[in-house]
Amino acid sequence: MSVIYIVLTVSVIVGVAFFIVFLLAVKSGQYDDSYTPSVRMLFEDEIVKPKKSTKTD
Amino acid sequence: MEMQQFYYDNKIVKKFLYATIVFGVVGMLVGLILAFMFLFPNMTDGISWLSFGRLRPLHTNAVIFAFVGNAIFAGVYYSLQRLLKARMFSDLLSNINFWGWQLIIVGAAITLPLGYTTSKEYAELEWPFDIAIALVWVVFGVNMIGTILKRRQRHLYVAIWFYIATFVTVAVLHIFNSLELPVSLTGMKSYSVYAGVQDALVQWWYGHNAVAFFLTTPFLGLMYYFVPKAANRPVYSYRLSIVHFWSLIFIYIWAGPHHLLYTALPEWAQHLGVAFSVMLIAPSWGGMINGLLTLRGAWDKVRTDPVLKFMVVAITGYGMATFEGPMLSLKNVNAIAHFTDWIIAHVHVGALAWNGFLAFGMIYWLIPRLFKTKLHSVGLANLHFWVGTLGIILYALPMYVAGFTQASMWKQFNPDGSIVYGNFLETVTEIMPMYWMRAIGGTLYITGMLILVYNVIVTIVKSDSKVTDELAEAPALKRVSKRRVAGEGWHTWLERKPVLLTIYATIAILIGGIVQIIPTIVVESNIPTISSVQPYTPLELEGRDIYIREGCVGCHSQMVRPFRSEVERYGEYSKAGEYVYDHPFLWGSKRTGPDLHRVGGKYNDNWHFNHMYDPQTTSSGSIMPAYKWLIVGEGAKLDKSMTEKKMETMVSLGVPYTEEDIANAQASMLEQGTQIEKNLYSDPDFAKSYEADKAAGGEDFVEMRNREIVALIAYLQRLGTDIKVKEIINETAQN
Amino acid sequence: MENKSCFHCGDDCGNHPITFQEKSFCCNGCKTVFEIFNKNDLTCYYDLQKSPGAIPKEIEGKYDFLSQGNIIEKLTEFRSDDLEIATLYIPHIHCSSCIWILENLNKLNPHISDSQVNFGKKTVRVSYNPKATDLKSVVTLLSGIGYEPYISLDDFKAGKQHINRTLIYKLGVAGFAFGNIMFLSFPEYFEINEYWLEQYKHMFRWLMFALSIPVVFYAAQDYFISAYKGLKAKLLNIDVPIALGISVLFIRSTIEISFDIGSGFFDSLSGLVFFLLAGKFFQQKTYDFLSFERDYKSYFPIAITKIEKDGSENAIQVYDIKKGDRLLIRNEELIPVDGILINGRGKIDYSFVTGESQPVTKQSGDKLFAGGKQTSGIIELEAIKSVEQSYLTQLWSNDVFSKNKEDGFTNITNNISKHFTIAIITIAVIATTYWLFTDASKAMNVFTAVLIIACPCAIALSAPFTFGNLLRIFGKLKFYVKNASVIEQLAHINTVIFDKTGTITSNQQSNAEYEGISLSDSESLVLKNSLRGSNHPLSRTLYNILDEHNIITLDCFEEHIGKGIEAKHDDINLKVGSASFVGNVEQTSTLNTTVHVSSNNVYKGKFTFYNSYRKGVSKLFNQLKKHFDLVILSGDNEGERENLKKLLPAKTKLIFDQKPDDKLEFIRYHQSEGAKVLMIGDGLNDAGALAQSNVGIAISEDVNVFSPACDAILDASKFKQLYRYIMASKSAINIIKWSFVLSFVYNVIGLYFAVTGQLAPVVAAILMPLSSISIVIFTTVCTNIIGRKLK
Repeated sequence: MSVIYIVLTVSVIVGVAFFIVFLLAVKSGQYDDSYTPSVRMLFEDEIVKPKKSTKTD
Repeated sequence: MEMQQFYYDNKIVKKFLYATIVFGVVGMLVGLILAFMFLFPNMTDGISWLSFGRLRPLHTNAVIFAFVGNAIFAGVYYSLQRLLKARMFSDLLSNINFWGWQLIIVGAAITLPLGYTTSKEYAELEWPFDIAIALVWVVFGVNMIGTILKRRQRHLYVAIWFYIATFVTVAVLHIFNSLELPVSLTGMKSYSVYAGVQDALVQWWYGHNAVAFFLTTPFLGLMYYFVPKAANRPVYSYRLSIVHFWSLIFIYIWAGPHHLLYTALPEWAQHLGVAFSVMLIAPSWGGMINGLLTLRGAWDKVRTDPVLKFMVVAITGYGMATFEGPMLSLKNVNAIAHFTDWIIAHVHVGALAWNGFLAFGMIYWLIPRLFKTKLHSVGLANLHFWVGTLGIILYALPMYVAGFTQASMWKQFNPDGSIVYGNFLETVTEIMPMYWMRAIGGTLYITGMLILVYNVIVTIVKSDSKVTDELAEAPALKRVSKRRVAGEGWHTWLERKPVLLTIYATIAILIGGIVQIIPTIVVESNIPTISSVQPYTPLELEGRDIYIREGCVGCHSQMVRPFRSEVERYGEYSKAGEYVYDHPFLWGSKRTGPDLHRVGGKYNDNWHFNHMYDPQTTSSGSIMPAYKWLIVGEGAKLDKSMTEKKMETMVSLGVPYTEEDIANAQASMLEQGTQIEKNLYSDPDFAKSYEADKAAGGEDFVEMRNREIVALIAYLQRLGTDIKVKEIINETAQN
Repeated sequence: MENKSCFHCGDDCGNHPITFQEKSFCCNGCKTVFEIFNKNDLTCYYDLQKSPGAIPKEIEGKYDFLSQGNIIEKLTEFRSDDLEIATLYIPHIHCSSCIWILENLNKLNPHISDSQVNFGKKTVRVSYNPKATDLKSVVTLLSGIGYEPYISLDDFKAGKQHINRTLIYKLGVAGFAFGNIMFLSFPEYFEINEYWLEQYKHMFRWLMFALSIPVVFYAAQDYFISAYKGLKAKLLNIDVPIALGISVLFIRSTIEISFDIGSGFFDSLSGLVFFLLAGKFFQQKTYDFLSFERDYKSYFPIAITKIEKDGSENAIQVYDIKKGDRLLIRNEELIPVDGILINGRGKIDYSFVTGESQPVTKQSGDKLFAGGKQTSGIIELEAIKSVEQSYLTQLWSNDVFSKNKEDGFTNITNNISKHFTIAIITIAVIATTYWLFTDASKAMNVFTAVLIIACPCAIALSAPFTFGNLLRIFGKLKFYVKNASVIEQLAHINTVIFDKTGTITSNQQSNAEYEGISLSDSESLVLKNSLRGSNHPLSRTLYNILDEHNIITLDCFEEHIGKGIEAKHDDINLKVGSASFVGNVEQTSTLNTTVHVSSNNVYKGKFTFYNSYRKGVSKLFNQLKKHFDLVILSGDNEGERENLKKLLPAKTKLIFDQKPDDKLEFIRYHQSEGAKVLMIGDGLNDAGALAQSNVGIAISEDVNVFSPACDAILDASKFKQLYRYIMASKSAINIIKWSFVLSFVYNVIGLYFAVTGQLAPVVAAILMPLSSISIVIFTTVCTNIIGRKLK
């Protein structure tokens, strides 16, 4: 059943790796603001019209 | 650091979308054919490459890797660019990713029907493809990470985390499960480096997490992007989504072994599988609730907008599947459900509802945007929705019933202690109506798909504008040096770290893994070997490869579970020690036909011969297709050219073939074959017709002893015969 | 005619909206903002949210001080010659449109490279290129589009905000370890002494050990520290038994695995720590957009315009104001120091200070107090004190602001734990001694087992989860409580003290009664129209109170500063204003504000203004009187005494003319008499009282505008709910008591296993999470029931 060693090691390493990423993400302040990003992603930013002087419609 | 202008690559998204649709149709079509083969076993009579056993892997692979896979890429390539405010890292890589992936799919579509398969579920593709997949996947990863590198948006939206997780874990899983030794670098044939129980464990560790990280995590990412977008309201709780991600990541990876409950897999491994599968329900439902609540207050929109309709059903499906999963992994539930159509229902709820419908929703949302137009007909989209939903219901419910009915029939005993339905076939004929309904459900679902195709095509044709890359602008991400500002340290690492970490993690995992492999392969496995268990004879080995080629494992398990009902029906329950030479393992996951682990010696050679030639003669009402091409025609000649090489490969995997074993391979094959041929003569009809053929056929006539059928019979007759019950008693006494 | 609402800010456009591109606006300000957005293709600002805007304030010269290097230095968190980053607090941020427009600033000013909103904190973090633009123009731009940043003396020390995330790390560590250890120890739970297990259990156990190390030495460190502190202070706080339990768990487990006695309790250990931390984490609910720590600094400007001897003006920091300095106060600016009005008409709004909404008119020579806000035109004043010594600000020199309320208050958990700990130790000792005589080999085992099983995880959890959950429920009901212990204190109060103005009276509208000869239609028509012309606060109030009339053009209209208005229409010559102005001979002196009216020099009568009290005041007081002593502490004169008498239950004490310090002393005195005081106030003048009281609640019409330092902020609209909130806190205490009972039951069960020396890891592993989780569920459910009652 030595294969257990692989599965275990790999799983643990994956786990630990993600765990480190997690810590760093928190440290980085990624999760300080847990609302704005969810709104920000809604904004469509493609449309960049050339700046016009006051359009009157 | 003024504004930078750049273009979002929409063309690549379009390509992936097209691929999604095309392969979606193909995959579903193959599935439909398979569904009908249950009703008309011989509808592709005699055409080897259209036989059930060979098409089944094609179906699963086409749906998972072609349909869902392309959908993932389409979604990721669309959302990633916008979430990071950057074009993909490299158009070249994007296109390599696209064309590479499609090439692999096409390759699979050719090789699988030709019988090139490893027989490991969702990993059937042979070694050259495994390498190709690994490469393309890395290309995808590099491209994604590169984009994250040059992003213009500091915050990584939760969806991106799901994408990263997908990349890393799938890479790892794929590599470790696909460790196999090619018989020759010129041929496609390879053997898994793990044997029996070990192979089973790795396979299902992969098999489960393939589901987890290929069908779930990326789609959760897509859900967190497209559902808010389509509903135009922020996700219900962003905080929850973050918690959802991390808890999922920390738990999911463990949940593999529950696919092997009551098998010869070590009990504790099973237990922990169960434990974690049950735990999984929490994060999974967290995600589902978050998804549904996002639409809370937008139900009016949902009523009108087909896109949202699809997504709602998708999320609900995810909820059902993730609820059912843990339930199924409870030992007592599993005891009933395992090997039955219940599992088929389970996976199809996941695939049809969660993956399918989310993909459809995404397509209906994306196509008009990419082509700057309106969807041709919302009415048709709604029609698709209803037809599809009905299809799912008509598919799933009968399968649940079928599974349950059959399982209970398997387990029924007469007062005298004999099993009620001694003939497996009775339990099959009982559920034929269910198979009918399933076929209808499937037809409905694919009809919906075709409606989508039509709708999309018309939309595209009608739209005058072609897909063009969209212009966008955003300021570059300015780095502020750590030293200068307190509390500002995060800019610096944010530039690179998540990326580097992903890379480091992967490398670390690989190294760590490799280091572990060497002992595994070198150190002979510490399974309690059973003295009487011997390697297969050359002919049996060839027979086994035919068994693999024809995908018999798709319908026949080789794993008698320690239940009275199974021991009664099949014989002594299976021991881990019996599989030590099985590269790969062939336990199977579904019993459309009976288990074969103890079939050896149960019937005489003639029975097998006739059964293979025309199953319905030996067992009337059987839904097994005929395998004439093993017996007659050009293909029937057994290719013995590779036998020695195969044995050598086995040796390097730890199977104790001696030098002379290999030297005498041909001789022994001929001998064993002749013996079987002799046995066959005991049936006068056979003798008569065979002699006739012999007379007719010229010098290129292939003698029976050299035909594939003989090898197969040899293998079948060997199955499970190594141990006698008494031995087991005292063997197991030691463990 | 029905009034349109402003396309930009949604306000009522009145009878004469400004129309631009078929859209109506309430004022030019709003129209201008729209024009700006329109010009720069930013109009989807209005698509995301309907009329999300705010009326831009007139800020001419207000931000001159922002061009001063030393002030910029204070306000920016990063400064290099081609990049400056400043984080600005913008109260108006309230919807997705706000986020969108603020993150697209650079379309309005190309030199702003990046602007990122933090919605929770209501801040925007702006990076710009100082070569091409500067902080002042950024701020001016923001104000120009209705997002005026709030810059106060608080920002004086910039870059202070440092988020402490250690708890999250610890939680992460514990959670990760917990999950993995569970996974590794599962096989052994099922006691399958099976071939495989024998092979791998050692590896597993040492892996568990490895995983548990960070849990014990990092995640759990606080408990050891606090336990140590507690012991030093000679009190057995809850952390003592916890720390004891943790260390015993760890040591025993380590011993077990090193001598291969058993699998150890690592799972229980990590689980325990995880749950405890989760409790801690859940307990802290922070309202990023609120601050409970505000003192005068958050109100006062960071800089002020000083007029030099030579008449030149330049901005100086308020801390640099010296006695005798000449200061220029613009409209809408706050007076930072006590001073003498030199010239200009002062109309000072002291609502910050007293909650009194009516601005008071000041003539040159009058004394002005710090904290007042000039509301019309520019004035000059001469400082007679420095900022710290000013009438209002010196209040903060009082030591109540330095001491922390929580010391000297032992919370319910620690009360319990005292007895609990002693009990446990005794049990442990007795059990051990017993075993020493019967089966010495087991003695040590039992001793540790008792300490392990008795580790009061459940007890430690019940309070955090109850209060934490209630905190959230209150938050949803617009009652923002600083922290859990406030709720607990709230449950213990027996005296409720109210400030009057702005607390039980709403400073929105006051009402006026007319007494005298009733006015003819034409007269009231003229009255209404003449009032319309004037912007004296009283005129505005009266104008709003009087019923609608058509707009007519007056033949003549004259406003006599400080006296009143004189208006002529057809044959009516109307005078509105002070008694003397309208020529009312016999002066009936009253403490309330009055406006007199005469038509064609015939005295008609007067409007007397009364505070209008919040809805449900008397109802609230009647509820409260059953359980609490009630007091009104007002800074005003006795004018309202009779009204209050009518309104409030008889037992209510009414005390008037209270200076900030008086209020503080009053409370301190009653506390010395053993009263547990709940103070409810609004203005800065209550700050001392709020700080001194056991629980200080600040009432606020709009939680975004500022409230003084306090323990809780209550949205004015929920004022009448106060009684039920207090009651809810009381029942929270009961919930906790019950959950204690529950967890004792668990302990008894556990102790049975322990003292009989048969505590298997699996038992511990089941019992501990089980007790913890069931406590969590119990408290959550109960608090939610309470919460439902509140709605």
